[in-house]
Amino acid sequence: MSVLNTLRRRAGVYGAIAAMVPKGFLAYSLWVWVELFTQVLSMAIMSFFWRAVYAGAGGGLIGGLTLQQTLNYVLLAQVLAPMVESRFIFHMGWMLREGQIAVDLARPVDMQARYGAENLAELLTDLTIKAPLLLVAWLLFGLQLPSNPLTWGAFFVALLLGRVVFFCFNWMFASLAFYTTETWGLSVLYEGVAKFFSGALLPLAILPGWLQTVADVLPFAQMLYVPVALLSGITPLSEAPRVWLIQLAWLVGTAVVSRYAFNFGLRKVTVQGG
Amino acid sequence: MPAIVVDQLSKIYRIPQKDPGLVGAVKALFRPRYTEKVAVDGISFSVEPGEIVGYIGVNGAGKSTTIKLLTGILEPSGGTVRVLGRDPHRERVANARSIGVVFGQRTQLWWDLALIESLNLVAKIYEVEPRRYKELLARFSATLQLDELLKVPVRNMSLGQKMRAELAATLIHEPKVVYLDEPTIGLDVVVKEHIRAFIKEQNRTLGTTVVLTTHDLGDIEELCQRVIIIDNGKLIYDGPISTIKARFGKYRTISFETSGEPPAALELPPGAELLNREERKLVLRFDRSRTSASQVAASVMAQVEVADFAISEPDMASIVKQIYAGGMAQEDAPEPVAA
Repeated sequence: MSVLNTLRRRAGVYGAIAAMVPKGFLAYSLWVWVELFTQVLSMAIMSFFWRAVYAGAGGGLIGGLTLQQTLNYVLLAQVLAPMVESRFIFHMGWMLREGQIAVDLARPVDMQARYGAENLAELLTDLTIKAPLLLVAWLLFGLQLPSNPLTWGAFFVALLLGRVVFFCFNWMFASLAFYTTETWGLSVLYEGVAKFFSGALLPLAILPGWLQTVADVLPFAQMLYVPVALLSGITPLSEAPRVWLIQLAWLVGTAVVSRYAFNFGLRKVTVQGG
Repeated sequence: MPAIVVDQLSKIYRIPQKDPGLVGAVKALFRPRYTEKVAVDGISFSVEPGEIVGYIGVNGAGKSTTIKLLTGILEPSGGTVRVLGRDPHRERVANARSIGVVFGQRTQLWWDLALIESLNLVAKIYEVEPRRYKELLARFSATLQLDELLKVPVRNMSLGQKMRAELAATLIHEPKVVYLDEPTIGLDVVVKEHIRAFIKEQNRTLGTTVVLTTHDLGDIEELCQRVIIIDNGKLIYDGPISTIKARFGKYRTISFETSGEPPAALELPPGAELLNREERKLVLRFDRSRTSASQVAASVMAQVEVADFAISEPDMASIVKQIYAGGMAQEDAPEPVAA
C-alpha cells in the first residue's frame, strides 16, 4: 500500500513537471508557426521530388516500395523529423560549463526521470501541434493514411517506445559532456548521424544493404523509421509485436547503460564556479 | 545535534588539460591529462540549528565549492559532511528535500513562464501541502513584494525582482537548512534591505539554519553573529563577529590632505603607522589603545601644513583584507609594550 502511495506521489511530481512543457511551447508561439510553415515547404519539395523520381524510373518499384508507400513514408517522416533533432548533448555541456546542473541536482527528484518526463511531454505536445500537417499532406500532397485503428495503435506504441529509446541514448551520449567541454561539435555530428539513420530523410528500405545494416545496429531508426514504416504500410501490421519486442530490448539496454554512464560521469563532475 | 557537521573536508578538482578545438577534445577523450587544484583543504566546523553563519572569503577561496559539497552536488575528496544527520552526496535526493539553496548567479525558475507557474511547480516538487502553500505564498508576497511579479515571466524581471523570486522559490517548502550563495550580489541598497529582512524573519519564525556566502559585509554585519573565513581552501577564522570587530576595531584610519609636500621622514607617535603616501595626501592607521586621534593629528600638523583631514572606522572589508594579509597571525603574536 505504501509503495503504491509513494508511486502515486512520485507520478504526481513528475506529472507536474511534464505539465510545464506545453506552457513553455506556448511562450514561443511564433516559432511554432515558423516551423509548421517550413515543414509544409519541405513536404511539397519531397512529394514533387519523389513523383519525378518514380516518373523517371517509368513507374514500378524503387527499393521494393511503390510510389504511394514512398510518398506516405516521406510525408510522415517530414512531420516527425523535428522530433529527432536533439540538442541535448549541447544542452548538457552548457549545464556543466555554466554550472546550471547544480540547480537540477539540488532538487529532490531523479534528474534523468525528470528530463524523461519532460521529454515525453514534448512528444505529446509536438504531436498535438503537428497533427494539422497530416491534413495538409492529405489534401495537397497525396498522403494516404490507414483506416484501421489497430495500425494507428501500433504506430503510437512504437513511437512512444522509440522516443524513450532515443531519450536514453541521448542521455548516454550526453554523459560524454562530463569528459569534454567541446559539446557543440559533438552535438552537430551526432544530430547529422541521428537524422540520417533515423530515416527522417529517406525510407531506410531504399538504402543499399550495408547502410541498412549500419542503421540496424544504431538505435535511431527506432525513433522514426520503425513507427513511420508501420503507419505508411511498409511494415505490415502483423509484424508489430516483433517490432515492439526489438524496441523493448533497445529500451532496456539504453536505459541501463545511460543510467550507469550518467551516474559514473556525475561522480567526476567539476561544477564550475567554485 | 548540530544541523551541519563538516569534518576534515577536502575537495580536489582534477582539471582536464586539452588542446583547443574538436581534435583536442577527441584527443583529450582518449588520453586525458589533468592538473589538480585543491579547492577545499581540510575544513572542519559545525553549525547549530537556527544559526546564521557567514561564510566568507575572496573569489576562488573555496566558498562555492563548500556549498556544493554541503548540498551533495559534489563528492568530497576527503573528510565527511553531515547535514541533518545525512551524507548529502550519497543521499542527495533525500537531503534535497530538507534543504534550500540559492545560487546567486543562476536561476532555478522557469525562464519563459510567469513566476506563479514556477512557484506552483516548486511547491508540487517538494509536495508542499496546498493549504500551507497558499499561506506561505501570501506571506512571501507581502514580505518580498511579489504581488505585481507573480504574473511576470522571469526573463522580463530585473535582477532585484529575480532575486526576490528566487528566495521565495527556495523557501516555499520551509527547508530546515538554507544555503545562500551570494544572495545580494549586484543589488541596490533597498532590495538588499528587503532580502536581509526576509532572511532574518525566516530564521526567527521558523528557526531556519542559514549558511550565507557573500562579498557584502553589510549582509554579514546585519545577519550573522558568527563568521567563518576561508582563504585558499583553508579555514582561517571561525568565531563571533564581535571578536573580529574587537580585534580590529581598535584601529582607526586617518587621512590628511596636505597643502605642501609632506616631509620624507615623518615622525609619528607610537601605535601609529603610515599606510599610504601620495602627493599632498597621507593615510595613517593608529591603535586607539595606544594613542589618540588628537596626538596623531597634532604630530602630523607640527610637521606639515594640513588643509583637511578625516577619520574613518574600519569596515569589514578592510578587516578581512587584513586577515588575508596575515593580520590574524600578527595579532596573536605578543604585542610590543607601549612606550
